Amino acid sequence: MDAAEALRTLDAELERGRQLFAGAASLDELERAQTSVMGRKSTFGEVQRSLGGLPEDDRREVGRRANEVRAELQAALDARREQLQATERTTRLERDRVDVTLPGRPPRPGSLHPLTASEREIVEVFTRLGYRVVEGPEVETDWYNFTALNIPEDHPARGEKDTIYVDVPGRSDLLLRTETSAMQIRTMEREDPPVYVIAPGRVFRQDTPDPTHMPVFHQVEGLAVDEGLSMTDLRGTLAEFAKAMFGGQARTRFTPDYFPFVEPGGQLEVTCFVCGGSGCRTCKESGWIELLGCGMVHPNVLANVGYDPERYTGFAFGLGIERVALARYGIPDMRLLYSGDVRFLEQFTEVS
Amino acid sequence: MRVVLGWLREMCPVDLEVDDLAHVLTMQGANVEAVLRPWAGLSGVVAARVIEVRDHPSSNKPLWIAQVDDGDGTHQVVAGVGNFHEGDVVPWARPGARVPVLDVELGRKNMAGETSNGMLCSPRELAVSADHGAILVLPPGTPVGADVAEAFGLDDVVFDIEVKPNRPDLMSVAGVAREVAAATGAPFALPEVALEESVDEAADAATVEIRDEERCPRYLGKVIRGVAVGPSPVMVQARLTAAGMRPLSNVVDATNYVMLELGQPLHGFDMARLAGPGIVVRPAEDGERMLTLDDTLRTLSPEDLVIADLEHGVGIAGVMGSADAEVSDTTTDVLLESATFQRRSILRTARRLGLRTEASMRFERGVDPEGPGRAADRAAQLIAAWSGGQVLAGTIDVGHEHVRRHVAVRPARASLLLGEELTARDVREAFGRLRIEAEEHAEDEVVVEVPGYRVDLEIEADCIEEVARVRGYDNIASTVPPVRQSGGLQPSYAFRMRVREALVRAGLRETLSLSFASADDLAVTDDHDAVRVANPLTADDAFLRTSLLPGLLHALRHNLHQGVRSVAVFDVGRTFFPREVSDDPSVIPVEEHDRIGIAMTGVASSGWPDPARQLDFFDLKGAVEALMASLGIEGWQVGPPPGPLFHPGRSASVTIGEELVGEFGELHPAVGERLDLTGRVGIAELEMAVLARHATGEVAYAELPRFPPVRRDLAFVLPAGVHAAAVHEAIVGAVADLGVEASLFDVHSGPPIPEGHTGLAFGVDLRAPDRTLTDDDAAWAVAAIQAKVAELGGRLRAG
Repeated sequence: MDAAEALRTLDAELERGRQLFAGAASLDELERAQTSVMGRKSTFGEVQRSLGGLPEDDRREVGRRANEVRAELQAALDARREQLQATERTTRLERDRVDVTLPGRPPRPGSLHPLTASEREIVEVFTRLGYRVVEGPEVETDWYNFTALNIPEDHPARGEKDTIYVDVPGRSDLLLRTETSAMQIRTMEREDPPVYVIAPGRVFRQDTPDPTHMPVFHQVEGLAVDEGLSMTDLRGTLAEFAKAMFGGQARTRFTPDYFPFVEPGGQLEVTCFVCGGSGCRTCKESGWIELLGCGMVHPNVLANVGYDPERYTGFAFGLGIERVALARYGIPDMRLLYSGDVRFLEQFTEVS
Repeated sequence: MRVVLGWLREMCPVDLEVDDLAHVLTMQGANVEAVLRPWAGLSGVVAARVIEVRDHPSSNKPLWIAQVDDGDGTHQVVAGVGNFHEGDVVPWARPGARVPVLDVELGRKNMAGETSNGMLCSPRELAVSADHGAILVLPPGTPVGADVAEAFGLDDVVFDIEVKPNRPDLMSVAGVAREVAAATGAPFALPEVALEESVDEAADAATVEIRDEERCPRYLGKVIRGVAVGPSPVMVQARLTAAGMRPLSNVVDATNYVMLELGQPLHGFDMARLAGPGIVVRPAEDGERMLTLDDTLRTLSPEDLVIADLEHGVGIAGVMGSADAEVSDTTTDVLLESATFQRRSILRTARRLGLRTEASMRFERGVDPEGPGRAADRAAQLIAAWSGGQVLAGTIDVGHEHVRRHVAVRPARASLLLGEELTARDVREAFGRLRIEAEEHAEDEVVVEVPGYRVDLEIEADCIEEVARVRGYDNIASTVPPVRQSGGLQPSYAFRMRVREALVRAGLRETLSLSFASADDLAVTDDHDAVRVANPLTADDAFLRTSLLPGLLHALRHNLHQGVRSVAVFDVGRTFFPREVSDDPSVIPVEEHDRIGIAMTGVASSGWPDPARQLDFFDLKGAVEALMASLGIEGWQVGPPPGPLFHPGRSASVTIGEELVGEFGELHPAVGERLDLTGRVGIAELEMAVLARHATGEVAYAELPRFPPVRRDLAFVLPAGVHAAAVHEAIVGAVADLGVEASLFDVHSGPPIPEGHTGLAFGVDLRAPDRTLTDDDAAWAVAAIQAKVAELGGRLRAG
């Protein structure tokens, strides 16, 4: 092959390469075209191999040209490859396309019961204030549930219409606790003042289920006994609680009430969290929601556990968890809480 | 307690709007639960004189045609009753008028061919009483044309007040009025009693004897002669009705009116039907029978106190009179009882007989022992005024007078309890507002003389509450006590919360069930020894539950019936077991166990985008594994199937070491069928305390591996019956020098797996701590694994 032929061949191969590359419809075809134009056995390769047989000047000229052609071919190849890669990516993405309106793959989230969620929140407020959580039995004796709490023998609450008794031969004093207040006595019997505890738990009353009553419900009892505790401490503590539970705008109202185990006794109401106090169905148009019963621990109760009522004073409060949960989430019927209905439970996924 | 506002204002002329007054009472602790307006909607009813009454000539039902005069002319009205006569004054609702019981204005209408302009009103139509059998005939002196609502107080407001059990004095209009006066500073006076008595002495007309002065400390009798029994005044009837009582006759209404007004229950006897006439207050004889006013024959015991005449019982003291000596239409002479009875005695009798009356409710909570005299005089006065009778002179008065309690209040103590510096003067002033005597005895002591009606004021703390009430609970400041301890959870409480949160993370929803069990529930779990409820309301709560599973199965069934297709729930709660009664009364012979229950059924996925499948054993086991993992419990094991509740081939007991934790598995299909639960149902019940003993809380960081693993997928063929757990153990144990993690990714049988064999495929990650493994290392490890699995009869599948 002489120089002129070699140069011609190079130009022809450049042209053939350009056309082959441009005509390649896929990366595979492009690769075949590359082998055909630029591979070891290609015409271009032959030209390069023939360089050695050319005279010095020709070799230099043809060699330079060969390098130019290689660069040009490489550029054309790269450009086409990039093009084909882009097309292929697009095609692949297109094949991947889904109907975005199809439903997602659902996770299976669990949830806490709204009463548990509310209880946890209440308990957290008081543990932050320094209270310890204590627990006790659900089957109680009438001493802890009534007598030690200054509830007289003839009090109607002790009747079989209000209290659920347990039938154990030889023991007529066993009952399902009607209030978590029983834990006041158990705690004070065990410990010396100062006492700052809360006792969450399940309590029982002889009620037929209806929208506002269940034979089973839940309370959180609070008890503080120390030297020098007063009603301002009670009020302040409960105000802190209400603020933490219902937000800074919530106001509280404190009115007298009666429970045999406190004196003075009171009731705390909070501005209705549905209407903010202007009156609605939830608060029976009053603007206030009854939150809890409370008071200063009755001196007889302190004496019953061997505390000196002259030296120690204290306050106690009892809060119905259902009341908080129902009002808070707008649950219209207490029976829903025990229905086990998943359609009800799954509404509380967010509060878990 | 329902209090008619106009009645209250007669004793305490307070100048406050209705809403403000309700607020004042609520803040005093007499919570106004509702403001009622029983006569709302009454307008345009006027007094009209009947000019003429005649029978309707052409009606099928009896109708009467009346011409009435309202001062502006004569109007024709058709009435359905004809109890009124010419000259009577009756309430006429003219066209355009409204009455409380009707939603629409009255008009003119044709009644069997005759025009009726509006209507004549029955007591019920004016909300005066429940009587709808007659037209209300107004007192003869009622001015014709007068507005009936205005003239008879039928425009009043009624407070429904929640009376706390310690404040029986608020079960009267006077008691509530006293509270209003204390809160507002408005004047207060009890109704004035002015009796005109005849010369004849009551003491000569009847006798009274008390045979049990402990249960009846005082008994007063007044005698009224020559009464004409008839209806009481319209306003009185209206007030009784508004207060929730039924007007009966002027004599009976007077006793009820005074009870509502002053809080003292009273009873009137027909003297003509009293043997003697005389009263004996005595314990009932054992088995003594009495027909009470509610027409019920009651059997009494000596626990009950009886009011008798000289021959037989005429009433159960403080509860209800008997039909025998009841005041009737023909009564002319009345013996009026005004007495004090022991609270506990009335409480027991009322409870035993299941008989709660307005009288017993007051007596059992405490009636003013100083009140019988005033109440007797007031009622005698009203009976005389309403029935034309004559009150005999004096009062038959037996028993002893109440002695007032004195309670010392230390201002220093009040200051401590109320958190505010209070002086003796502050304390005295508070009681001054309440119209209760309080004297400073020494500088540091105020002595309160407790009036009879305040049965709740027994000790110093009671009186300090009064100081707080008068000064206003809502004015009490807020302080937060310095708690000298850090708060925290009892370990058992914290653990339970941890369990709940773990189960929520495992995709279960928490549900709660009641703590009771029926006999059927016990049968489900085959429990024979359960704690019995002594007074169950229904058979569903005859026992305390011994397991959470029946409740959970109820929940599953409820959901399936509601068309819920996937249910996965848990419950954390107590179960109860009887234990031997010990001699120590502080030991409760019932053991309480906290349990965790899990139940699931229905679809695990709906088919999009994963293949459709049902929840089964492995979903359940996955939840148990997740729970164990999050409690840090590693060495737990599955054991033999637990019992007949479970599917024998798809259930297991759970143990940690030697301790049984509980059981899990699919519900036995036969049990499921019985409970109307078809399809696979997974259930688990675990003992909280055992888990708590083995749980670990510490999390310790482990160094991350520095070199990537080599992955080999190994498919084995094993004789059926070799447990996957054993194969897993063989793989992991085969190459001790390397880190090996193996996870099962496929289980299959049938061709090409030979009969009697199972195919198990594991993904195995091999790793060395100090280098990346080569293919040769991996081949060596696989050979070692192969050898180990061969010991179980397994071989590696080709390919």
